[in-house]
Amino acid sequence: MIARMVKIEIVGPSELLLEVLSLLRDLELFQIEQDITGFVAAEDRDKVRPLLLDEKTMAERIYCEDLRARIDELFACLPREEMRQSYLDPGDVLESVNETLQRHSALCREWCRKREELRTELAELGGDSVFLGALEPHVTTIAPDSGLDFIGVTIREPAAVAELMRTLARLTGGRFQLLTVKAEDGTLIGLITLEKDLAAKVRGILGEQHVPEMTFPPELARMPFPEKIRHLRTRTAEVTAGIAAIDEELARFARRWGAIYARVRSWLDERLALLGNTAHLHRTGMCFFIHGWTPAADVPRLTGEIRTKFGGAVLVEEKQILEQDLDLVPVTLRNPPLFRPFELFARLLPLPRYASFDPTPFIAVCFPLFFGMILGDAGYGLVLLILALILGRVFRQRETARDAARILLFSSCYTILFGILYGEFFGEVGAGLLGMKEGFIVERRQAIVPMLCFALSVGLAHILLGLLLGFITALRRKTGREAMFKLVNILAILCLVVLVLSRMEIVPRLLTRPLALILIFLIPFLFFSGGVLAPLELLKSIGNIVSYARIMAIGLASLLLARVANRFAGMTGNVVTGVLLAVIFHAVNIVLGVFSPTIHALRLHYVEFYSKFMVPGGRKFEPLRKG
Amino acid sequence: MEKVYLALAAALAVGLSALATAWAQSKIGSAGAGTLAEKPELSGTVIILVAIPETMVILGFVVAITILTM
Repeated sequence: MIARMVKIEIVGPSELLLEVLSLLRDLELFQIEQDITGFVAAEDRDKVRPLLLDEKTMAERIYCEDLRARIDELFACLPREEMRQSYLDPGDVLESVNETLQRHSALCREWCRKREELRTELAELGGDSVFLGALEPHVTTIAPDSGLDFIGVTIREPAAVAELMRTLARLTGGRFQLLTVKAEDGTLIGLITLEKDLAAKVRGILGEQHVPEMTFPPELARMPFPEKIRHLRTRTAEVTAGIAAIDEELARFARRWGAIYARVRSWLDERLALLGNTAHLHRTGMCFFIHGWTPAADVPRLTGEIRTKFGGAVLVEEKQILEQDLDLVPVTLRNPPLFRPFELFARLLPLPRYASFDPTPFIAVCFPLFFGMILGDAGYGLVLLILALILGRVFRQRETARDAARILLFSSCYTILFGILYGEFFGEVGAGLLGMKEGFIVERRQAIVPMLCFALSVGLAHILLGLLLGFITALRRKTGREAMFKLVNILAILCLVVLVLSRMEIVPRLLTRPLALILIFLIPFLFFSGGVLAPLELLKSIGNIVSYARIMAIGLASLLLARVANRFAGMTGNVVTGVLLAVIFHAVNIVLGVFSPTIHALRLHYVEFYSKFMVPGGRKFEPLRKG
Repeated sequence: MEKVYLALAAALAVGLSALATAWAQSKIGSAGAGTLAEKPELSGTVIILVAIPETMVILGFVVAITILTM
């Protein structure tokens, strides 16, 4: 059902505005209306103006935004740690938090800067390690006082090695050695060993030929090769330990202070949201106005809370909902627990407008009924019942799945009921085995025409109910002509049905003439209320009723599939194979039996039934709330 | 011979309307799938649109039953 809403105006002195907003946010039952057209009389509108923040509130907003930005900056430095819950109320200690934050931000920034430096150094050391690591096995065999020098070069491609050899041979007269190795990252590295006297000359020529020489940090440049390697290793270990120590410090800091700063940040978010809401409010010279909506059931709580907190300083006034407000009124659905799972179907379509009908109670009653009428097999119903109970237990925590399981539960109960009435248990064979020789009401396979009449009767009742709801909706929305159109449609359909029945002599034939006269009498009203397309609308309604024939048609198809499953199983002549085949066929039929009736029962509601009364386009009720 | 004609007429009533429904649903279904890729919140509307042509085959079925039982 659509909850009845009340139009509310809250008035109070400007200095209490934020406190009132804070209370409304905590109560979570009031939606602020930005459009004041329906709230303030036209002649008073120039006295009311949008509320602008005063200097003090503006300063608070800037302060809060700045504090929030600095907390975000602090969090950017900290690792993501599991945080405890903080129960601090930051409102009273905001200034202290601000001072502490300045110190902590400086400390964390310094840690982050140091860590960044160490990471850069580690990356450089990593590059040197690749080179030295590749050459280490060759260099360590040469004595330090051998009078030799080493030049490390990076060789772009293997083909350049021969050219390098020729150049070195020319420069050193063949007194050199070139070792090439592939580093871990795939680079080809060359180590030229030569006499110290020749090293400078060779370096110069290699530079001219664009053969890049490996360079080392200044502190490594003067060290002999083996010492370089040792130094690199020691430094790498030191840097890694340094980074780990800083990470540990930051993690410890996050564990100690993270929860407090997270709590302050969330408080700031709420405070800023509250200050942001003032943009939708209005004021005069002395007081503020908050206009909005609240469900009628919650009005006593709202007024009570405001009276308790502010005494007579803040007033709550209920205003009359005018005809032009109807499309503005927000909509919230409140159904009894038994019907609530069926809101799942209502959510697939846009919300109905205020003063129309919530289709949930109708779909809650009719959907399982139609589902049962279509599937109508006690055996299948039993399987679905067990499945629904299992799903309901497994998906207790997931709302949508739990609702779907409950819908399946209701539907399966009706399936069992209609299965007994039709005399079907896994088709006719199962029913025969259980002693259900014939259906209590009808055997679907034999009674095709009676079942068709039954389906059409259900359709007639459903469509007439839809038209009646449409008539009431039109009266509520004060659209008289539409109400008249719905009423004329109801009368015309009833006349047509009785006319057909009288022609078939189910009701006295004498009624034919008066009914025809009534129909002729209704035609001008039909055109007056519905325009030139009114007869088409009436024909559409008749088509909608015929569409309910699917209840019988799909049901018959399901029954015949079950019959095929049993026949196939019987034809094997082997008990085990037969049972296996029957299980497979019936399983497929159950899957179809869930899917097909669901789609068709939904379609009968969405297309045939809803179109008669539903006015979509309702505004969702979104009260002021935290977060 | 009359029975053969009646059966043929009933088969045509269901068969042709089923073909027409299938053709209409294929067009609406592909357009609906495209719509849902961009706006999943329109699933209810798409279900309605896909289901609308089904009335044709149901009407065909009713006509077939009427032919066979009259």
